[in-house]
Amino acid sequence: MDIPVTTKTQPGECIPWEQKLKELPPIQGDTDLMKRVWQDVDAMAYVYIWHVVLSF
Amino acid sequence: MVQDMEQLYQQRLKRYVTAMRNGKPDMVPIRPFVAEFTAKYAGYTCQQVCQDYEIAFDAARKCAAAFDWDAVVANMVYGWMGFAQALDLKYYAVPGVHVAPTNAFQYREPSEEDAWMQPEDYDEFASDLMGYLWNKWLPRVAKEVNGPDGPATYRNNVALVKSGMGMLNYFHAFGTQAARLRKESGTVSAISGILKAPFDILADKFRGYIGLTMDLFERPEKVKKACEALMPHLLWMALSGADPDKNVPIAIWMHRGCVPFVNHDQFRDLYWATLKPIIEEIWRRGHQTLFYAEGKWGAHLQSFRELPAGSIIYHCDQDDIFQVHRELHDKFAISGGGVPNYMLQIGKPQQIREYVKKVIEGVAKDGGYIMDASAIVQDDAKTENIQAMTDAAREYGQY
Repeated sequence: MDIPVTTKTQPGECIPWEQKLKELPPIQGDTDLMKRVWQDVDAMAYVYIWHVVLSF
Repeated sequence: MVQDMEQLYQQRLKRYVTAMRNGKPDMVPIRPFVAEFTAKYAGYTCQQVCQDYEIAFDAARKCAAAFDWDAVVANMVYGWMGFAQALDLKYYAVPGVHVAPTNAFQYREPSEEDAWMQPEDYDEFASDLMGYLWNKWLPRVAKEVNGPDGPATYRNNVALVKSGMGMLNYFHAFGTQAARLRKESGTVSAISGILKAPFDILADKFRGYIGLTMDLFERPEKVKKACEALMPHLLWMALSGADPDKNVPIAIWMHRGCVPFVNHDQFRDLYWATLKPIIEEIWRRGHQTLFYAEGKWGAHLQSFRELPAGSIIYHCDQDDIFQVHRELHDKFAISGGGVPNYMLQIGKPQQIREYVKKVIEGVAKDGGYIMDASAIVQDDAKTENIQAMTDAAREYGQY
């Protein structure tokens, strides 16, 4: 995205995966899979709050 | 029958998309943004279509089936009050509760002292926007939600879960609605995705128009930073709801960022400086934006010309549509301005026909025009006048 992000979190995220990863024990399995699913579900919270702002 | 409807849908989609790309289709497409009019036509109250979105969808389908329209919004009575009630959003006046069941829902703007965002919040807003939305803004606008310092009560927890699940249900239902419009009446869903200008949303949902007006003079740099903070997030949201086939546009609902609400410098340095890059990025990714220019934006048409050709469709509300056509048509398609809304309310069908004829002859001869009323059509419009607008557009809109 060419528009600079000036806020603490990136568009599409509420709780960054990097922050959550620090709270977890060492990942024994597929880290990328966990990251993708975390971000997908996290984005739903992002969409929720922005739709309250924009659509309702 | 299904095959016929699919053929009709494909014809209409081609017609609508061709015109939005500033081309000349087989005839002028008709795409009225009909809101509470659908309730009136289908025999429902404003309360019914606001409270139960399935009733609103039904009203939209009944209109789409009855009138020869190419495209409609799947539910132009967009504010579903079921969601508003789940959170008890303070900025709504709900039909049947705060206003009569026969009135459309209203947005209530708080006084300057009670604005949802206070002037001292600007720095936090600009640096930790998501934290601000969840921790401060949502608890202020939603009676059912407590802030981070409040208890995680039963009501708080239930409100967040049921509003989230309710929103999911509502948005999923749009997919079914679009499929039914296509299958049952061959009608195209006119838009996909939502955008607001950073400046507008800052006024609408955070500072209020009066508060933001004061901020423009007392703390303009903070306003600029807040708008810049919003930009990538509003872009992300617009793209998240965009049409994957890139046929229909993302709609931007333009409110109070124009002269005389602001002066020319404020428009250039704040409103336009933080909106233009979003539109350019949306276009770079292959989507058009429908500029739903509510009110009068004629003072800024030359600014809009800075955008890449074809990147927007300019919707004309109260501007002089012939001036809009002269200034923009070589770059962008135009919609709206077909009939002023007051005329739909108090005019006669013959007057409507003559107006539509004049507009089509003046702005549509080379294509690049989509017929619509000036503004969103509410329940004050007479059915015979909507019919006259439709019939006249078909009669005079043939190429």
